Amino acid sequence: MNRLLVFCVLFSTAALAQQKTVLKGGKLLTISHGTIENGVLVMQNGKITAIGAEGSIMIPKDARVIDTRGMTIYPGLIDSEDNLGLTEISAEQSTNDLIESSDEIMPHMHVYDAFHAESELIPVTRLNGVTNAIIAPDTKDTLPGQDSFVQLAGKTSQEMLLIRDIAMPLNFTGDQRHNESWDKRKFPQTRMGMAAQLRQAFLDAQDYAQHWADYEKKKSEAAQKTDDKDKKPDDKDKEKDKKPPTPPKRDLKLEALLPYLQGKKPIVLAAEEANDLQTAVSLAHEFNLKFVLSHISHSQSVLDYVAGLKVPVIVGPIYEDPKPYERYDTVYSLPAQLYKRGVKIIFASFDAHNVRNLPYQAGYATAFGLPYDEALKAITLNAAETWGVADQLGSLDAGKAANVVVANGDPLDLRTDVKQVFIAGKEIPMTSRQTRLRDQYSGQ
Amino acid sequence: MNRITIRVVFLFLVFSVFTQAQQPSARNEVVIKHAVVMTVTHGIIQNGSVYIKDGKIAAVGKDVSAPSSATAIDAGGKYLTPGIIDSHSHIALDDDVNEATSPITPQMMMIDAFDYQDKAIYRGLAGGVTTSLLLHGSANMIGGQAVVIKHKYGLNRDALLFPGAPRSIKFASGENPKRVYGGKDQLPSTRMGNFAVQREALVQAQDYMREWDDYNAKVKKGEKDASPPKRDLKMEALADVLRGNLLVQIHCYRADELLTEMAIAKEFGYKVRAFHHALEAYKVADQLAANNVAIATFSDWWGYKQEAWDAIPWNAVMSMRKGVRVAIKSDSGDFARRLNQEAAKSIRYGGATDEEALRMITLNAAWIIGVDDKVGSIDVGKDADLVIWDGYPLSSYGVPSKVFIDGDVYFDRSLPGFGMTHYSEGQ
Repeated sequence: MNRLLVFCVLFSTAALAQQKTVLKGGKLLTISHGTIENGVLVMQNGKITAIGAEGSIMIPKDARVIDTRGMTIYPGLIDSEDNLGLTEISAEQSTNDLIESSDEIMPHMHVYDAFHAESELIPVTRLNGVTNAIIAPDTKDTLPGQDSFVQLAGKTSQEMLLIRDIAMPLNFTGDQRHNESWDKRKFPQTRMGMAAQLRQAFLDAQDYAQHWADYEKKKSEAAQKTDDKDKKPDDKDKEKDKKPPTPPKRDLKLEALLPYLQGKKPIVLAAEEANDLQTAVSLAHEFNLKFVLSHISHSQSVLDYVAGLKVPVIVGPIYEDPKPYERYDTVYSLPAQLYKRGVKIIFASFDAHNVRNLPYQAGYATAFGLPYDEALKAITLNAAETWGVADQLGSLDAGKAANVVVANGDPLDLRTDVKQVFIAGKEIPMTSRQTRLRDQYSGQ
Repeated sequence: MNRITIRVVFLFLVFSVFTQAQQPSARNEVVIKHAVVMTVTHGIIQNGSVYIKDGKIAAVGKDVSAPSSATAIDAGGKYLTPGIIDSHSHIALDDDVNEATSPITPQMMMIDAFDYQDKAIYRGLAGGVTTSLLLHGSANMIGGQAVVIKHKYGLNRDALLFPGAPRSIKFASGENPKRVYGGKDQLPSTRMGNFAVQREALVQAQDYMREWDDYNAKVKKGEKDASPPKRDLKMEALADVLRGNLLVQIHCYRADELLTEMAIAKEFGYKVRAFHHALEAYKVADQLAANNVAIATFSDWWGYKQEAWDAIPWNAVMSMRKGVRVAIKSDSGDFARRLNQEAAKSIRYGGATDEEALRMITLNAAWIIGVDDKVGSIDVGKDADLVIWDGYPLSSYGVPSKVFIDGDVYFDRSLPGFGMTHYSEGQ
């Protein structure tokens, strides 16, 4: 997608933030260049325009200055997979647009077609400092559709959908088999079935691409011949070829796979156990797919292999129960184990209602050996880099979007209260359906 | 009925004798030193000590006099809390949680499904949980009778049973029963049906009690030809509800249903011990407090179904401030591993003090189960169920370092493998 254009739109709609806003006197966790005590951060036109220690930054005279002494200020958090905007009440099917489960291979499902900007879940989420997210379909099928990257504020879904079809999940966790019961069994019932079906889909897409390439070639040849004919008007043998070639029938499903087969966009390859992980990676290699890994919660035996793949890993969620044969902290310590091997890690909530708890996952991982700064990076800059938006998001740097969170303490600690959130420089009202209920019943 | 009571008492005696035999040998004395002791009932003791004798807390304070023969454990300035208590769990039941074939199944005994080898018990233990209430599911208006366990993973089944814990029974209301039976085109399929089914069962139990009372009166009068009514396990269990012999634990979400359940309890003369989930408790907290009904709730889980749509993370503290006894429970093997974090959220959402937050997963949970005289705080005479923590327990960073139950270490994070002292794989 044309990312630049999208961001331009975003900033122009935030035009009411023309006003200069200054956060003065807080502790700035820049992510990219350390911590600045007694910092100053200037926002204008939806962007961070200056950041530094107090005294080193000119505070514009006409700026609105917010005293943030005692506060901790950090970039908006990025959740690298969730279902926000696709569900409201989990058990109420009429409120769910999570997955089109009529078939396993549905790459032409675009979450942006379902993303519900007015979802009550979104204010609840951003109140805890999560400002951006990868929205993915549910994981029940191997290829359920394509993800979008959103910001969690905006008047319409158009405004919130920053990058459409940013990536495509390929789920191979074992949960996608349709073998609920022997009577209701349906293809693919096994991992072999799932892999064969995926392979066929990618082969079909390759064929499809070939048909279009052949057509394009014929078309240009025909055009060439027409040119030739113009030069030799009486060449009767060429008359037959004058008709332009018929284009192949468009197939949206196969068309959707092409950017991934061409390595233009990443696949999010989800697997849990070592065997599934290796099957899925082999499949990705077979078709030269560019990918990032996801989950790998029970692949501790092959972490060196994972490191050798040199791709980012969206870990967890680390709350995933260990297998009966695993020690209680096997999944909790996975981020630290990967980090030790030089793997770039990212956290995701893989949730909808509880996305707000994303930072606590990162915090808990530090109790099992992940360095604090890395934990923070895993929900900010690492995510931004992985999704190709690090020029705009993921750290407090001049020139980046003003997605800024002001809290009364450590962002990874669940005791910390978020006081103010800015998204694209806009001050977010710190209210949600939940705060309204709280206030309604507090008064009695 | 008396016969049955005697039998129950006898069974408990058998259990406790058996339990003694199953205990790990360690009756030795232990003193934990240099700990920040979070007592729950009488504040925090900096650089405090706890002296354990015969599995009980024998002394707690800045300085305790323990014999030099006692094994000393240096906590190295770490936090020491009571063992965490989970007042709503379905682990170790091997998925036999719901007998969803009838909306009234009070004769189900969860102990009959109790799988003492389930690793979920270990994972809870590693999260600091020492006691859990294992409940029937919520498919039925009146489900089965709970089992209370201590997380002594690695011992035999009966050694995991909490000695002398009172009996609890699970009730449910709202969406689950009406969905389960409505889905089969059976009664109940509405909330009206739910409560009608519940009242009807209680009326039958009243009749059943009357028959037995009549019979017992005849026997007392010496009527030789008096024949006993047929014993009915279902009715016996409900009669125990009406007699107040069972703690009534009710799965209930909506404010209107909380009120209806309390009204039915009043009508039939039993007490509700606690509402579980109770996500709308904040709307009727005054009434809950007035009836001395506790709640066992989630910290911030919401939106998973219609009746969880008005859930707010301030529920626990708003209810507490109105005088409701509040516990945070897991209802899942996952949350059970980090209940300390779930409780700590109440510090942020509503401003609970650290001690109030800790009480939600210790003493208040113990009260709901009816074992608050034995566990739930660091007080002399109570079971030595204790947790030494790495990091601050009421934060994102608290992780149990050592977990004691009845004075013995059952989990030690520094050990290789599973970190357990009474279990090794393949034993």
